[in-house]
Amino acid sequence: MVNIPNTFSITISVAVFEKLFKFTGNNLKNIVENPSHEGPDTNPGRYCFRLHKNKVYYVSESLVKRATNIARTQLVSLGTCIGKFTHGGSFHLTVQALGLLSSNAKHKVWLKPTAEMSFLYGNHVLKGGLGRITENMVPGDGVVVFSMSDVPLGFGVATRSTHDCGKMDPNGNVVLHQGDIGEYLRMEDEL
Amino acid sequence: MRKQKEKIILPPELPPEIPEDEVEVSDEDLQFVNENLDYAGFVSSLDTQSINKHVNRVANAKGDTLEALYERRLKRKSQEKESEEHGIQVDPVDALPVKTLDGELYYRTASKMPKVSENAPTEGEGTGDDEDGGADKGIMKLTKAERRAKLKKSKKEAKMQVKEPAKTEEVQQTPQEEVLAEVKKDLTAEQLLESNKRRLAELGMALLADPESNIKSLKEMLQISKDDDHAIVKLGMLSLLAVFKDIIPGYRIRLPTEKELEMTVSKDVKKMRYYEATLLSSYKAYLQKLIALEKQPLFQHVALRCFCTLLDSVPHFNFRDNLLAAVIRNISSPDDVVRKLCCTTIKSIFTNEGKHGGEATVEAVRLIADQVKAQNCQLHPDSIEVFMSLSFDEDLGKPEESDGNNKVKYKKNKRRNNFEEPGQLQDNDKKKSRHELMKKMREEVNAEFKAASFTPDVMERRRMQSETLSAVFQTYFRILKHTMQPIISRSEVNTTLLAGASGAHPLLAPCLNGLGKFSHLIDLDFMGDLMNSLKKLACGGSNSDGSPGNCLKSLTVSERLQCCIVAFKVMRSNLDALNVDLQDFFVQLYNLILEYRPGRDKGEVLAEALKTMLCQDRHHDMQKVAAFIKRLATFSLCFGSAESMAALVTLKHLLQKNAKCRNLLENDAGGGSVSGSIAKYQPYASDPNLSGALASVLWELNLLSKHYHPAVSTMASSIASMSTAQNQVHLSTISPQQAFMDLSIERESFIPGSDIRKLNQKRKRGNGSATPANIGLNLDVMSPTNEDEMRKKLSEHFMLLRDIKENERLRRELDRTTLSLQLYEEYKKQKLKMTEKPKPKK
Repeated sequence: MVNIPNTFSITISVAVFEKLFKFTGNNLKNIVENPSHEGPDTNPGRYCFRLHKNKVYYVSESLVKRATNIARTQLVSLGTCIGKFTHGGSFHLTVQALGLLSSNAKHKVWLKPTAEMSFLYGNHVLKGGLGRITENMVPGDGVVVFSMSDVPLGFGVATRSTHDCGKMDPNGNVVLHQGDIGEYLRMEDEL
Repeated sequence: MRKQKEKIILPPELPPEIPEDEVEVSDEDLQFVNENLDYAGFVSSLDTQSINKHVNRVANAKGDTLEALYERRLKRKSQEKESEEHGIQVDPVDALPVKTLDGELYYRTASKMPKVSENAPTEGEGTGDDEDGGADKGIMKLTKAERRAKLKKSKKEAKMQVKEPAKTEEVQQTPQEEVLAEVKKDLTAEQLLESNKRRLAELGMALLADPESNIKSLKEMLQISKDDDHAIVKLGMLSLLAVFKDIIPGYRIRLPTEKELEMTVSKDVKKMRYYEATLLSSYKAYLQKLIALEKQPLFQHVALRCFCTLLDSVPHFNFRDNLLAAVIRNISSPDDVVRKLCCTTIKSIFTNEGKHGGEATVEAVRLIADQVKAQNCQLHPDSIEVFMSLSFDEDLGKPEESDGNNKVKYKKNKRRNNFEEPGQLQDNDKKKSRHELMKKMREEVNAEFKAASFTPDVMERRRMQSETLSAVFQTYFRILKHTMQPIISRSEVNTTLLAGASGAHPLLAPCLNGLGKFSHLIDLDFMGDLMNSLKKLACGGSNSDGSPGNCLKSLTVSERLQCCIVAFKVMRSNLDALNVDLQDFFVQLYNLILEYRPGRDKGEVLAEALKTMLCQDRHHDMQKVAAFIKRLATFSLCFGSAESMAALVTLKHLLQKNAKCRNLLENDAGGGSVSGSIAKYQPYASDPNLSGALASVLWELNLLSKHYHPAVSTMASSIASMSTAQNQVHLSTISPQQAFMDLSIERESFIPGSDIRKLNQKRKRGNGSATPANIGLNLDVMSPTNEDEMRKKLSEHFMLLRDIKENERLRRELDRTTLSLQLYEEYKKQKLKMTEKPKPKK
């Protein structure tokens, strides 16, 4: 299923899927099996993951085929970038993965309108800013952050379980910030 | 004494109508006069003349008659006087509500009663025979009329008792009557039985009349009820029940310690002690006897009725534990009568906590919990249902707060004491010591007052309530856990006992109800576990992999829906500040809607689930809402009017709250940009978020607006016009539950209406004006029973139509041929003319 050129080894794919699994749980299946309607083919192809220059891309098969026409050194990007490998070798999701994550998220947090801006500037989500939260979160799970009108804002990692959230004080962190759509402005160059 | 008695019992015979001449002074009269010379003496000194005059004027009496008349009057008067005397002698306790034998109470029997009680002390501790004889006399000397009345009455009583055996708590007099009736019931039985019965009645009456002096008779009654005869045992038990219920004091008897026994006490105290000790010991013996009897199937009903009545009326008294144990042992008895009796008793214990100060509640709940544990959750649902009548204080859930308050108060008091103390210090020691003494005294008095007063201690009450609550929840959690266990391990435990109960998890339904009711009292620490187990139950094993799946399949759809509802209630009542999205339960509901079958599952539960999960929740994802809207619309196409109405009400509510989802009402498939990552609607997706419902169109509404039920069709069309009529913002006030109830009640009344319509259609069809649309409408209305008939009719109808068409075709053909014939004729004629014309020309 994962047609990766030479460089995508087992360890790398494990790192990528583990990270995605934290956010999507069993819905990871949908990401992998999602049919793609790109290209001239009548029968829908699949999406696959590619590693290119330390970045991981989510690309449709037809696009991969066509990308072979371009020399690897000349290729800047293809498909959707979902994350990158740091120099230390760990995998980080980037904001571009938000669309993929938000449609398949397992745990969600909705922010009150007052707390949205704070999050979009790269701050963590405080308990006071929580509008709504899915049940059954476990500390360490990936969480997708939405605004109250269901617009995905970013994602992060939960620090508390849902039930503990009920008891904590309003200034405690509930979700640690990992990526938000504000980065498109703030870190335009890096992306 | 004797004489007096005889006189009372003498029937008040009316003078027979005798012709005046024949009246003679009978021997009896003479005797009477001789006996009562005191009374009769003055008769001789009467002025006969004046009397004659007087009587002649009033009545036509003469001579001797007059004398007799006066004698009789006198006699009556004296009799009245005597009975009056008795009335005075009777003390108020004795005069208690004892009905007379002719049913109209009064003190005639009261005057009989003291006789019995007088017998006891005088002939007193003498031999049984003597007393028996006296009593016999008492009974035998009833007049015929009275006896007849009594017979009738006893029969009536017996009937009444058969009718309402459980109705025991009435005014004091009823048990007595009951006992009397029971005792008098079987007149044809042998003499021993008769005498035993009589004896029981006598003793019972005596005890009720004066318990203190007759307390010893309890033992005798117990002795009698050890008889071999079943009837006597039963009667004995019931009469003892009535007696105990009456004479048990309003406090718990504590037997004196040895030290106390050694002390010299007054005569009254001694008497009291003796009384209490006897009462207690015989009560104990009685209970032991009952417990022994309870094990025999023949006596089970009687024994349990006694237990329940006692527990109901004297829950404060000694040996309550044994009573409770016996009742709860039978709380899930397969016998309906027994079980109902036990359940109502336990419920009344829960509701009337004032009688026993709440201790019995704790004990009962604990015993039930143990019972559930011991029986491995295989009990009748009623036994858990009783928890529903428990009531807890509202602030029980927040113990810290009140503690804090107490502390503050304590501090305040302390501070005040501190303020006072400096002043005291300046005083001299004497004053100080006196002050301390006073304080001590006051404390002591306070403590004593507390002990004596019946106002329940707040802290004590709180402690008991929390104990009760923990036992209740322990039971509930045990049931939940047990339900989740695989069924294989349980198959050995036989469930024959629960023939009437529902399925393999008889306790689950009442347990879920209870959790819903007490959801606001659940500790937050348990919440995680509770939600997890509810989730597992709700998903019914469909999500879990493989083996545990089979066992949970046995849960019905209603039960699973109930799990979802309870989860929502628990969440809502506990984490009100935090809006938690119960994603998994929504997934379950989404799938359960499809599994719903109208006959098998309870529509009320579904409607409730729709209300609590979809209507009352404050905020939803758009995707999820769209998925639910689509599914509800599909659902309402498939089922009866009540279900589809409930679904439509929910649907409307969702559409009103989520304006974005009104895209579904637009007529372009695909949904455009809002449809998210899933571009195509997937009706079989199990997750509402992944179904891509926003890409679909609510074509179901169009069909539903042609629904046969007018309410459904108007509802559907109003929903369909929602996107165009923008100003319609008001939220509908009707809840899905209400809608469901309305229509399911209406269902019965609606069917005949549709029948009438069908008849009209038939008539129309007879005229041959039936249109295809009408027929289609009719087919909707058809019930499956007369489908065959319908088919026949339809085929007849179409046959007719075809015949008509055939006819028309033939006629047309005929017309055409005749026309062509005519034309041919004409042509021939013309040809003839043509040929003829030239001829003359030629």
